Amino acid sequence: MNFLNKWKYLMIVVMSVLLLTSCGFKDIDKRYFVVSIGVDLDKTNSKRYLVSLKFAVSNASKETPTEFQIISEKANSMSEAVRMIKTKVDKEIDFSHAKAIVLSEELVREKGNAGIYYWFARRRDIQKISWVAIGRPSALKVLKVKPKSERIPSNALFLSLGKDGSESPYVMSEFLFDMKYRLIERGIDPVLPIIDAKKGFFEINKVGLFNKSHMILTLPPEETKILNFLRRREEKSSNKITRGKTTIVIDTHKVNTKYKIVTPKGKAPFIKVNVSVEGNLEETTKRVPKEKLSDFERAAEKSISKEVKNILVKIQKANLDPIGFGLRYRSRHFNNDDWEQWKQIYPTIAFKVQTKVQIEDTGLIE
Amino acid sequence: MPSNKVQIIKESLRNKILPSEDVVYKELHTKEKYIEILYIKTVSDGMVIKDNLIIPFFEIANPDQFLDYLQSLPTIKMFEKEDGALDELIRGDAILFYQDHIFLLDSKVDRNNSVLDTTVETTIQGPQSGFSESLPTNIGLIRQRYPQNTLEVESTTVGTISKTKVMIIHDRKVADIQTLHKIKQFLSSIDIEMFQTGEQLLDIIKKSNRALIPVMLVTERPDRVVVNIAAGKIILLVSGSPFAVVLPTVMKDFMSSMEDIYQTYWVAKFLLVLRYIGFMTSLVLPGLYVAVTSYNPELFRVQLALNIAGSRTSVPYPSFIEVLLMLFMMEMLTEASIRLPKAIGPTATTVGGLILGQAATEAGLVSNIMIIITSSVAISNFVVPINAFSFTLRIMKYFVLVLGTIFGLVGVVFGFLLLVAYMVKLDSFGQPFLTLIQSKPSKKL
Repeated sequence: MNFLNKWKYLMIVVMSVLLLTSCGFKDIDKRYFVVSIGVDLDKTNSKRYLVSLKFAVSNASKETPTEFQIISEKANSMSEAVRMIKTKVDKEIDFSHAKAIVLSEELVREKGNAGIYYWFARRRDIQKISWVAIGRPSALKVLKVKPKSERIPSNALFLSLGKDGSESPYVMSEFLFDMKYRLIERGIDPVLPIIDAKKGFFEINKVGLFNKSHMILTLPPEETKILNFLRRREEKSSNKITRGKTTIVIDTHKVNTKYKIVTPKGKAPFIKVNVSVEGNLEETTKRVPKEKLSDFERAAEKSISKEVKNILVKIQKANLDPIGFGLRYRSRHFNNDDWEQWKQIYPTIAFKVQTKVQIEDTGLIE
Repeated sequence: MPSNKVQIIKESLRNKILPSEDVVYKELHTKEKYIEILYIKTVSDGMVIKDNLIIPFFEIANPDQFLDYLQSLPTIKMFEKEDGALDELIRGDAILFYQDHIFLLDSKVDRNNSVLDTTVETTIQGPQSGFSESLPTNIGLIRQRYPQNTLEVESTTVGTISKTKVMIIHDRKVADIQTLHKIKQFLSSIDIEMFQTGEQLLDIIKKSNRALIPVMLVTERPDRVVVNIAAGKIILLVSGSPFAVVLPTVMKDFMSSMEDIYQTYWVAKFLLVLRYIGFMTSLVLPGLYVAVTSYNPELFRVQLALNIAGSRTSVPYPSFIEVLLMLFMMEMLTEASIRLPKAIGPTATTVGGLILGQAATEAGLVSNIMIIITSSVAISNFVVPINAFSFTLRIMKYFVLVLGTIFGLVGVVFGFLLLVAYMVKLDSFGQPFLTLIQSKPSKKL
C-alpha cells in the first residue's frame, strides 16, 4: 500500500509537470534571429523613430550564403516598434544574437533619446557585449549593406568592429555595457564609432564623442587614431612624419600612453601625458641612413606631441571627456565636492605632452 | 571403522545417488584384495582414477601395502561425513571402499582451464591474457604474479542450488580486516539459487537488488587483480567465470585502465583526462543539445546558431524527440553489435551508423548537428575502460536529457548535480565511491 502511494505521488508530480506551459521551450528553428538593430528618426514625422531589425534567414543549404530580411516599423518607442514587428514575422523574435546596434547620426545629434540607449541595456535578451555604433547616412542604410565577403548577415560588421577580423587604429569599437557605464558615470563620456555605408562595404574610421545625452563632436580619422592611442586600444598603426623635405612613415608596434593629473598647491593644475612609441620605418621619400634615425625620432616626437595636444585641447573645448580624466581625478581626490571641483578645473587645465619615439631600424638590411 | 557400518554407509550412499547413466559403481578384484569405487564419470577424470588407483591396485599385490599407498596419496581424504562425501561425489570425487576404510579420491576434472585472451579490457601494451574459467588455474595465475607468502586464499560457497565455489583472496599485510569482515558477511548473507559469475553481485549488493552504479569492479585481467591486491583490495574468484571481482571499488578504479601503468607519465595523464572528458561528454551532451537549442540559443556563436537553425528547418519534431530518436537508434546499434556474430558486426555498424545516419539527415528526420552529437556521445561512452560503468553511463545520460528537456540549462546542471549527489551517497564496503585517491600499489612494497 505504501509502495502504491509512493508511485501515485510520483505520477501526480510527473503529470503536473506535463501541464506546465513551456514558457522557455522554443526550438531553435522556430526562432528568428535578429543580427543587428538600426534606429533612425522617422523622416515623415508621423512617429518619432524608425526601428529596423535585420533578421538572418537560416538556410538549410550550406552552398548559398545565408540571406537576410530587414523589417522596419515606425513607432514612438523601441518597445512599441518591436511589439509591432512581432506581428509581421512568423517566428519568435530572438535578440540573443543581435550583436550590432546602429543608431543614425541624426538621432544621436538630438537630445532626449536616452530612453533608447537604456532600452538596449534593460532588455535581458540583448547581449551586453553587442557593439554600438553610429550609422551614416542612416542606420537603415548601414543594415542594408551586403559585403561580398560575408556569408552570414552582419558578420562583416561584427568582424570589423570586433578584433576577430581586421585590426585597425581607426576603428574604435564600443560595447553596449561600456556605453551604458559611460552614460551614467561622471567623469567619463561615451565614444561611438561612425560607420559610413558605402556600396558593398563599410567605412569605419571616425568617431563621435558624446556628452551624457547626445553626440557633440566627430573626429576625423587621424584624430581617431590618436584618441585610440590615448585609450590604449590599438598599437599597430602608421604615422607620417615630415622633416625638411623628407617624409617618413613609422610602422608602430608598441604605443604606450600614460597620464597624470598634477594639482600643485597654489599653481594651476595640469595633465602630464607621456606617449612612447616604438616602431620601424615603413616608407620614406628619400633614403634614410641608420645614423640619421635619431634626427627623425626627434622630429616624430615633436609632431606626435603636437597632434596629441591638439586633440586633447579640441576635446577639452567641447567640454567632453572620452578618456576619463574626470574619473581619474575623482578616484584620487576624496572631497565631497570633487566632481564640482573637477568641473571647474577641466575647462582651463593645461596639457603637457611628452613623447618618446624609438625607431628600431630602417627596415632594410644595409 | 567397523565393517557393518561401512556397509551401511555404502548402501545409503548408493541409494542417495540416483541411478544415473553416468554414475559408475565398480568392484576391482585381485587374489588378495578387492576395492569398490563409486564415482560420476562425467565430472571425474578417468585418467586420474586410472593412474592413481587402478594401475597401482594391480601392481601392489600386498593388501596392507596398498592400504599404505592409499593413505599416503596426497589427493586422498578420509571419509568424514555422509553429506560431505555426497557433495564431493557430485563435484567429481571418487569414493573408495577398501577393507574397512572409506576414502575420497580427488579426481575432479578440470575443464576450461585454458587461459583466455582479454576481450573486454584490451590494452595495446602489457599482458594480453586474461583469466580462464577454471578456479585452480586462476588462483595459479594470481599466485604466479604475486609470489608473497602473505597471500591468503579462503573459500566459501554461494548459491543454494549451484553451490558455486567462491575464493576470497587478499594480502594479509595490506588488506583492511574490517573490509574483509564486511565482505565475508555479505557473501554469507547472499540468498540466491544460481550463482554463476561475479557480476551477479553487482545487483545483490543493494538491498533492493536494483543498482544503477556498480560498486565493485569485475575484471578479466590478472595483472589488474594483482595490482589491486597489492593496493590492499580483496578479490573474489568465482568458479566457472573468467572474471574476478575486486572489492572495494570507487569511481577512480572504473576510470583507470591498466594501460595507465604501462604508459609514460604524461601519456597516462593525458589519457586519464581524456577519459573524464569522454565521461562528461557522454553524460551531458544530449541534454545540453536540447537545452541550448530550445532554451538558450545565445550560448552558440551566431554562425553555429544559424547553422543549427538551418539544418533543423526540415525537422518536423521538437529537439528532444529528435535526440531521443537518434539515441534510440544508437542504443539499438550498440546492442545489435554485441549480439551479432563477429563476422557481421562491422557490416552492421557501417550500415547502421553511416547509412542510417546519412539517410535520416537526407530524409529530414534529424539535423546534421544531431548526427555529430549522437556519434560523439556513442564514441565517448566507450572511452570509459570498465564495461559495467560505461553501461551505467548509457542510462545516466537519459536522466540528464529528461531534466534538460523540462528545465533547460538549469535542468542539465541540476541533473548533473543530482547524479553527483547520488554518487556521493554510494559507498563500496566502507569506501566512499568518489574517493579521489587512486588505488595504486604503495611504494613500500
